[in-house]
Amino acid sequence: MRGFPLLMAAAAGLALLIAPGPIPAAHAQTEVALTIENNRFQPEEIKVKAGAAWVLVITNKDKGPEEFESKDLRIERVIPAGKTVRLRMPALKTGAYGFVGEYHEKTAKGRIVAE
Amino acid sequence: MGATFVITLREAFEASLILGIVYTYLDKIGARDQYRHVTLGGVLGLLASVGLGVGIGFLSGPLLDLGPDLITAAVIFLAVGLLTWHAWWMQQHARAIRGHVQLRIDEARATQRLWIVTLIAFTGVFREGAETVLFLWGLMAQASSASGWANVLGGVAGVGTAAALGWTIFRGGHHLSLPHFFAATTVLIMLLAAGLFSTGVGRLQGLGFLPMTDALWDTSWLLSDRGLVGGFLGGLVGYRAQPSAFEAGAYALYLVAAGFLLFGHLFAAPETNGQPAAERTPARRD
Repeated sequence: MRGFPLLMAAAAGLALLIAPGPIPAAHAQTEVALTIENNRFQPEEIKVKAGAAWVLVITNKDKGPEEFESKDLRIERVIPAGKTVRLRMPALKTGAYGFVGEYHEKTAKGRIVAE
Repeated sequence: MGATFVITLREAFEASLILGIVYTYLDKIGARDQYRHVTLGGVLGLLASVGLGVGIGFLSGPLLDLGPDLITAAVIFLAVGLLTWHAWWMQQHARAIRGHVQLRIDEARATQRLWIVTLIAFTGVFREGAETVLFLWGLMAQASSASGWANVLGGVAGVGTAAALGWTIFRGGHHLSLPHFFAATTVLIMLLAAGLFSTGVGRLQGLGFLPMTDALWDTSWLLSDRGLVGGFLGGLVGYRAQPSAFEAGAYALYLVAAGFLLFGHLFAAPETNGQPAAERTPARRD
């Protein structure tokens, strides 16, 4: 347990190091916005260019948290209520990649199409 | 209600398995009075989960973008390391018993190891704890109607059922002899840790630290890993319906490495009892 605060500090430090901050290179990447509202994604289909890294900017406008989950992309990410999270996305091959809001799987569904 | 039940059951199952492993371990070595070390780890894991769940609401910028993902990935690999260490230690102990070298448990050494048991319980609960806490929290925040409360009830029942299942599985280990229990648990830990390791590697892919690869195969038509059975197998042996090459490779690599580490002696030293002693001594030196 003594290691835990250390772990948190290390993780935070690492986050600061590799996070896309005011580093010029980060500007080159396309940003795509995705909104969560009424337990649904808007838009439900995102089109991106295949082969180029990009940034997915998810805003949760609902009162409760949502988990953006994509089994295809190995991403599981909680978006707290009212917050915006920027996820750095890898360059994708041509194809469709599904995602869901795990906390409201019935309504919150969508897919990313890389072409 | 059913959907929330499945979600929390799936999330909490792995934690209950891990807690089951360490509780039963203490029971089997006759250290039931040390249960509190596991309980402490579990409670701390729960507190950390609530802390992270609440804390992430206050984060912003790069810390919110990447911090939680890095913590999750770190906890996964920490859990793999701790579980492997625990299994290795059990194997050493089992061999000592088999060779009639040392029948009694070295109290001091066992006590020194208790913080590992605490840490294992902590990582087991914390790994998916924050997600589960946030999920239940969100359900409660939106529970204004009767069906809303039914959802909350389903979520809580899911956690309870997971705990009961973990407990039941380890009741089964109760009448095994110590060496058999150690062997069975070691195999279970290997499979569980292999699954965790492959999950961790998948997360690194998702974070962009490793390149994306296509799914190696797709068995979701046969058994989806989002359902109840597939979810259980996911927690138990790391079943994945569409593993990437990295995930499948990591799983296999872990099994081979851990198998060599934990069971290598079975193949290395066939007959003589005295010969392989040199290879064993490092385990007993501390």
